Amino acid sequence: MSANTSLYSIDAILILDSDKNRIFTKYYKSPHENTENDLITNPKKQKQFEADLFKKTFKQNSDIILFESHTIVYKEYSDFIVYIIGGLSENEILLYNVLQGLTGAFEIILDSQLDKRSLLESYDMVVIAIDETVDDGIILETDSSAIAARVTNPPTEDVGNIKIDLSEKGFLNAFNFAKKNIAERLQQGF
Amino acid sequence: MSTHSYKKNDDADSSVLPDKMSVYQECLQACNASPIQPKKCRKLLSKLLRLFYSGETFPKTESTSLFFSISKLFHNNDPSLRQIAYLAIKELCSVSDDILMITASIMKDIQNGDNIYKPNAVRTLSRVLDGSTINSAERLYKNCIVDSNQSISSSALVSSYHLLPISKDIVKRWINEIQESIVANKSFQTSSYTTHETNNYNRIPNSTYIYQYHALSLLYQFKSNDKMSLIKMIQQLNERKTLNNSLAQIQMIRFIEKLIIDDSKILVNNQLWPLFINWLNNKSDMVELEACKLILFNANKFNSEQQLHAITTLQSLLSVPRTVTRFSAVRILNKFAIKDSDKVSVCNLELERLINDSNRSISTYAITTLLKTGNIETVDRLIKSISSFMDEISDEFKIIVIDAIRTLSLKFPLKYKSMLKFLNSILRDEGGFNFKNSIVEAIFDIIKFIPESKPIALEMLCEFIEDCEFTELSVRILHLLGNEGPKSENPSTYVRYIYNRVVLENSIVRSSAIIALSKFALINDENLTKSIKILLERSLKDIDDEVRDRTILSLKLLNNNDNLKDAKNYLLPNYKYSLPILEKELSKYVNNNDKSSFKESFNINLIPKISDEEYKAFELKEKLSGKLNEIEKESEINNDENKRDDKNNNGKDSSNSNNNSNNSDDELIVSDITKYTLLQQQYQSELSQLPEINEYGTLLHSSNKFELTEKETEFVVYAIKHIFSKHIVIEYNIENTLDEIILENVNINMEIDNEEYIEQFSLPIERLEPNSKGKIYLSISRPENDNEEDNYIMANIVNSLSYISKDLDSEEGDEGFADEYQIEDLLITPGDFIIPTFTNDFTKEWDELSIENSSVFNLGNENSVNLQETINKLIKNFSMMPIENSEIISSGKNNHTLKLFGKSILNKKIACTVKFAVSSKSVMMKLIVRGEEEVLVEERSNTIE
Repeated sequence: MSANTSLYSIDAILILDSDKNRIFTKYYKSPHENTENDLITNPKKQKQFEADLFKKTFKQNSDIILFESHTIVYKEYSDFIVYIIGGLSENEILLYNVLQGLTGAFEIILDSQLDKRSLLESYDMVVIAIDETVDDGIILETDSSAIAARVTNPPTEDVGNIKIDLSEKGFLNAFNFAKKNIAERLQQGF
Repeated sequence: MSTHSYKKNDDADSSVLPDKMSVYQECLQACNASPIQPKKCRKLLSKLLRLFYSGETFPKTESTSLFFSISKLFHNNDPSLRQIAYLAIKELCSVSDDILMITASIMKDIQNGDNIYKPNAVRTLSRVLDGSTINSAERLYKNCIVDSNQSISSSALVSSYHLLPISKDIVKRWINEIQESIVANKSFQTSSYTTHETNNYNRIPNSTYIYQYHALSLLYQFKSNDKMSLIKMIQQLNERKTLNNSLAQIQMIRFIEKLIIDDSKILVNNQLWPLFINWLNNKSDMVELEACKLILFNANKFNSEQQLHAITTLQSLLSVPRTVTRFSAVRILNKFAIKDSDKVSVCNLELERLINDSNRSISTYAITTLLKTGNIETVDRLIKSISSFMDEISDEFKIIVIDAIRTLSLKFPLKYKSMLKFLNSILRDEGGFNFKNSIVEAIFDIIKFIPESKPIALEMLCEFIEDCEFTELSVRILHLLGNEGPKSENPSTYVRYIYNRVVLENSIVRSSAIIALSKFALINDENLTKSIKILLERSLKDIDDEVRDRTILSLKLLNNNDNLKDAKNYLLPNYKYSLPILEKELSKYVNNNDKSSFKESFNINLIPKISDEEYKAFELKEKLSGKLNEIEKESEINNDENKRDDKNNNGKDSSNSNNNSNNSDDELIVSDITKYTLLQQQYQSELSQLPEINEYGTLLHSSNKFELTEKETEFVVYAIKHIFSKHIVIEYNIENTLDEIILENVNINMEIDNEEYIEQFSLPIERLEPNSKGKIYLSISRPENDNEEDNYIMANIVNSLSYISKDLDSEEGDEGFADEYQIEDLLITPGDFIIPTFTNDFTKEWDELSIENSSVFNLGNENSVNLQETINKLIKNFSMMPIENSEIISSGKNNHTLKLFGKSILNKKIACTVKFAVSSKSVMMKLIVRGEEEVLVEERSNTIE
């Protein structure tokens, strides 16, 4: 049995809720290669895979399972489960470090509020965190603080159509603008 | 869309997906608005991504318009919006048209953008580029790879890796930058946009060195074929201890594994071993485990001290709190214990503690490992501790345990009583078919291979069928009772049990009970025969056809008083057909397109028959060593992960390395002997298509493949010797590995150094295209002495390849030029006249053979000899079957005995024992050959190839 020297080590990342509905699913493939792997191309097969996997792992508390030619590490929370799926001969700890890195990053960006509701409320940060952990099957980072530090916070507020600058300089600008305008009008009008 | 569901969409807590069309519309609107509102857009894009990641897709035109709308977001410079825009673009790339349009904007970002989204831009760029446009990005990638920001560098490296399939030679141009970045110091940079309210202990590291992992793996893609520079790189990196990242170290271990697997000459010498010591005591358990895996799965490359070092590392990992680590450690040990259980036994204490592990996969692995390492004293205690938790585990795990028990009971036949007791008690538990089947299977094996156990075991089975809910199991048990019952001391006891089935069961069970009953009438016990006939007559009016038919057949056969031979032949045949071959031949017959072939009935004589004796001996061998195949099986699954077919649905289990027991039985039988037979058949049919060779009669034996060139040369040649009664046909397989040269009129010039062999003719290859293969057949007549034994004559054949070579693009009139190519010599050896054969009692055969001859060889220095390899080579060259698993070297011993058995082409037995003794000075080998033919014995003992 020879080990896999390729960088592609993650087959899929799944987050399912406690009714095995999808919160996040991504089956990875190399972006410039075609694949005939059923699990990647066939959505029906994916659903079946997820359902079977869920049945095997829900409320089992065992962190790791060998399932349908995959090594799968997972972590169960109050109302969702995160799965990291790799090949059968993949180093189990490597997968587990990815899982820990990712869930650790979730904890940081969600401020320790780990439940389905906050996952969905901050879905933008969650998907960026996943994207910063694994890029199409290649592990980008396994350190949770480093992953979290790559995730941008959402913009705080939307600016309206008119920018109102309330600083002293802003007032001065507004005043000068008004002065200039009024001066012009006065000259023209009268 | 109803107002009801619309409301739901606004509720983030709901698991209902947002509506596809409204998300699409809103996205288009928001992206085209001016000015762009970053917060709103980011929210919308996250909704869009939610759809993607739930498996929703858009048609191509809609994807494309989404793609272009999102590209308008580049007018806004808010980094947090840009980051998610890149993610959305990345997802849309594979499903949209004209994605190249966005290249310029992305490149601008990579040059002048904010550091926070630069990595995202780099990674997205690799999705947009194709083989023709990658040139324009070369400079960008080079700059990014050497960037001191580790995120940017990593992204560029990973992107280059993604681009390999379309432009390996272009990526190769920045190999220097890649090399540089392995050793460079890069740091992690943070940005004000990404400060989260973290607790203080989540410190952001200065650098995670992950870029080393990416750079190293990318570099390997260019160096994997250049062994020397790879070894140099490994040594340099380790001397300077530059690798700070665990993933990079794992990758390094894997490179070494590839190296030593590909090249059998590389031994782990003093230069490499210090690296392993470092890895085995690494601060990261991930690295430790990977190194252990490498050492133990390639155990023949490491000496036993080194193997023990790895086992000690695993031993300490068995008691760490982290489940995954324990799992991984016990999984490696379990696999290694199949090959070498003695060494693992040092971990027995830790393993016993794991029996009660909360993770059931771990406890199952622990038990099966223990069952392998266990010795005869600990068996009873083990079984007791297993019984105590059998109730708590699921059927799948039970099957794994039973499977291990089965192997164990064959290993320690004396312990059959406690084993049977255990099996009997779980047989009464509740359970599904597969579970019960595996128990019955185990009991069957015990009956088959431990004759003393028969009375107790049969009794158990009889009671089991009294209330067995599975028809299939009843049928199998009845069949077994029919075979074994009559041989027992008191056959009539079983008759009652069987007849009960005739009265109480469904028609399938009834019909098999009828056959079983009739078998009891075949022993010469008149009373019994009479009563059985009476019992059978009652079934003549059975409502089911099959039952009636079988009854009539049996009665008819039994009533033919003068000649019970017919009855015996039909009811108790003493041979089996080779089922895999039968299946193959039948399907060939049925699928034949030529309708006329159906005029002849199927010829059952084509199928090799295996006598019961042979079958049993062979089966025992498989059962004991059967687990070895599972390793291969597991790796097969790895090699071909696409083949996740129905088989996996049967074996849907967490630990599929162990539980294939049900279907493995069929597969196991397709092993050595069958493979050999199939191969011979294939050769026979290939050869018989050549009219010249067809008339030589039946093929007696075909040798293994012998390579006559190195694998990397221009022409790769290997030869197979086919032995006929009066001729030898040598099949030269030639592969032209050159890209631009066509070979014509390829032939073999040979000279044989023994005059008794006379070259007859050869069948050359007319034309061999570049990168294609062809076969040359060469026929030699064998000496014809009256005493057939004298015809075993050894010889040396000097070969060379002659051909006319032409350039692929040369003009038509070009005649090319004739050339010769020297290939290695081929020997006619004693092995060519020996057919590997199995025997179940080597000692007995050995004692009976009278002619003996022996010789001693010095194989050389201890370090230069790989014993396992020598043994494999001997088996191949001798063309004999290793017996009693003697082909596997047990651990840490300085001597080993290999037992080989075979039959000559004249069907005379020959046996070898090869004793190896390893001392500090040299490795000695003593070869003792016994057989029935003097010439062959002498030749065999005098030469090793």
